[in-house]
This record gives sequence, C-alpha cells and structure tokens, in this order.
Amino acid sequence: MSEHKYLTPLHALSALFITACLVAAPLFTATPAKAHKLKTFATAIGAKVSGYAYFVPGGRAQNARVTITREDGSQAATLQTNEQGEFDFTADQRSRLTIHIDAGDGHEASTIIAAVDLPPTLPSANAQNAAAPVVIPTPPMESAANITPDLQQQIETALARQLRPLREQMDAWQEQIWLHDILGGLGYIIGLAGLAYALTSAKGRKTSSNIKQTKS
Amino acid sequence: MAHIPDGVISWPVLAGGIVTTLAGCAYGLKKLDPVAIPRTAVLSATFFVAALVHFPVGPTSVHLMLNGLIGIVLGWVAVPAILVGLLLQALLFGFGGIIVLGVNTFNLAVPALLCHGLFQLSRRSQHPKIIIATAGACGFLGVGLTAVLVATSLALSGKEFASAAQLVVFAHLPIMLIETVFTAAAIALLLRVKPEALETDQGQELHLDHVQEDEQGKAYV
Repeated sequence: MSEHKYLTPLHALSALFITACLVAAPLFTATPAKAHKLKTFATAIGAKVSGYAYFVPGGRAQNARVTITREDGSQAATLQTNEQGEFDFTADQRSRLTIHIDAGDGHEASTIIAAVDLPPTLPSANAQNAAAPVVIPTPPMESAANITPDLQQQIETALARQLRPLREQMDAWQEQIWLHDILGGLGYIIGLAGLAYALTSAKGRKTSSNIKQTKS
Repeated sequence: MAHIPDGVISWPVLAGGIVTTLAGCAYGLKKLDPVAIPRTAVLSATFFVAALVHFPVGPTSVHLMLNGLIGIVLGWVAVPAILVGLLLQALLFGFGGIIVLGVNTFNLAVPALLCHGLFQLSRRSQHPKIIIATAGACGFLGVGLTAVLVATSLALSGKEFASAAQLVVFAHLPIMLIETVFTAAAIALLLRVKPEALETDQGQELHLDHVQEDEQGKAYV
C-alpha cells in the first residue's frame, strides 16, 4: 500500500541521470568549469604596477573601481579599469600595496604587491627598515663588483617580465575546479543523508519500543 | 551572483542572515521525514553541481541556481538542502564566503519557500497545464527574487541599490528563462512519472501514520 510513497528505482534513476547531465555539461562547454567570481591579477615591473580584473569564468571586468592602498593605510590611487579590464599605476613609495577591485554588483577582489617587488630606488615608507636589505647582497661576491645598481635594476625588471606569465598561469590554476572536488562534495551529501537516516531511525526505534511497552 | 564573498556585506545584515538561516534550517530539519531524505540529498547534490553549469553573458557569466525547483519539491527542507550545497561550494570550489553563508542561504531559500507556496496553490486547480505553467513561473521567480534579494542585501550594506539591482537582475534574465524551461520540464516529468514525489506535508503525514500502524502491528505479533 505505502510502496508508492518510497523512491522507486525509476525515480532514483531519472534523478541520477539529471545529476549526471549536470556534472557532464561543464566538461563539454568551451570555457573551463568555473562559476561566477571576480579575481584580479597584478605584478610590478620596475615601479610600474600593472594588472587586470577578470571574472571566472568570463571575460575582463570593465569599468570596475580600483583602489590602491599603501601599507600605512593611506590611499595611493583610485582608478577605473579600461575596456580590457586593465589598470596600471606607478608606485611612488616602496611600500606594500593592496589593490582592491569593486565591480559594483557585489563582486569584489583584492591582491597584494609586496614591497620587495618594487625597486629599491623608490623612497621607502619606513626608511631605516628598508635600507638594510638593499645594501647586504653587494659586498660578499667578488663578481658583484661588476654589477652596478643600474644593471641590477635591469636584471630585476627583465626577471619580473619573464615571471609574469608564470604567475598568471598559477593564478588561473588556483581557480581550476577538479573532478575530485565535485566527487568529494557529492560524497559529503551522501554521507549526510546516511547520517540523517541513522538519526531518524534511532528516533523511530525509541518510539516503537515505547509503543511496545505501553501495549504490553 | 548568489555567492557573495566575505567582506562585502555589513555586520547587521550578516547577523540577520545567520539568525534567519539557522531558524529556517532548524524548522526544515524538524520537518524532514525519513522518506524524504533521498529526495533531499539528490536535490542538494543537484544544487551543489548546478553552479558549475554556466552561460556567458557579456563580460561575465551566470550559472544555474535551481532554487525554484528545489523549493517546489522540498518545501521547508529546501533550507538545509541549500545550506549544505552552499557550504560545500564555499569549501571545495571557493564560491562565496563562509561568514556570509547565512545571507547567501537566505537569498536563495526565501524565493524557494515562496515558490513552494505558489506551486501548492496551483495544485488545487487539478489542471496539469496550470500546474506546469506555475512550475515554469517558479523557475523564473526563484532566480528573479534571488537577484532582487542580493541587490537588497548589497543596498543594506551601503552599496548603491539601483546600479547593483540593474546589474544583477539584467545579467540574470537569460538564466531566468533557462530555469523557466528547465523547471517546467522537470515538474512535467515528475507529474507524469511520479506525482507522489511532489506531495510534501500531507503525503508525509499520511505516510507517518502508516508506519506507526505497521509498527503497532509488529508489536502485537
């Protein structure tokens, strides 16, 4: 009689089929499987900080508000991203910069440029602390005598340029959703359902034993 | 869109979201019948995965939400189902924040509950066409109301309501249309294959009575 109240195999199969389609669908779409989220990427090449804001998945965030703050909390600049979602800014102090992006629809993102990524020639925010690490590397090496500060600056700029694509790739990888994440989540839900069953059946057993006692 | 990150919403709104979500979740779990557990788990899993199905809209993209469908089938149990889905999305995919989970659940679950009420009303008509049309409307409204609630929670946190609402609602028009078709199709299938799956409160109570009779019967034997 009450059989029709239970989930029949047909019903379960159709539900599983829908779930399977949903799992498979993103694998066939052209863009990688990611949901809606704002991210920003920025690097410093010399004193020039350049970057962009983008949606995952999707394109660049155009006309988003960019706020750049220094380590001491003072505002260095407020900008807007251009049509390509890019922004650039020239640092005037060797201080850690926090770049905050607001797309205006509840999507916000931020990233940090460390003080060491900016050239040592810039005036430092707290002079005595920052001056020390710049001097140390030069004396011990014999060949270091040939490296003028100018050359060193050029090497650092070239290196930063070379490293940028690598950093971009790492940033994109962080957003990758792996199959094991999806399967893990589904496993958790099945586990929670099992737990709910266990708890409700324990409750049911208690009430049924109460019934037995009252009947006998 | 329904995944607001941490640090965007102000504290009073966050607290309100947490309190209402916990209350709704407790009530939903109280109403959870053992028979409805597989159904709840399947829909929670569907919700968890649906966010990965996205459609490009201009520079950004939108994803399926399915809160209308979940609300129709689960009623109050939709609140814990959505909370579990959102929690796992936040932990495993990095969609949305953790502290803001209450607000995000509220924004998705309230439209789901309204859809449930609307659908139950339409069932009184006994006309399959009206019922399926209402299911489609629920798919549309589920996303639309969520968009309005997201814009409201942003406005309450001191953002400009007009621009946020415009951005959020217009970006979601395509997904609203997709969910209209999807929800109508899913409910039409359920009505034909397994109409009992759509009976929530009444059906469960009937079933509970039945179980107790069985157990009493056993006790006699």
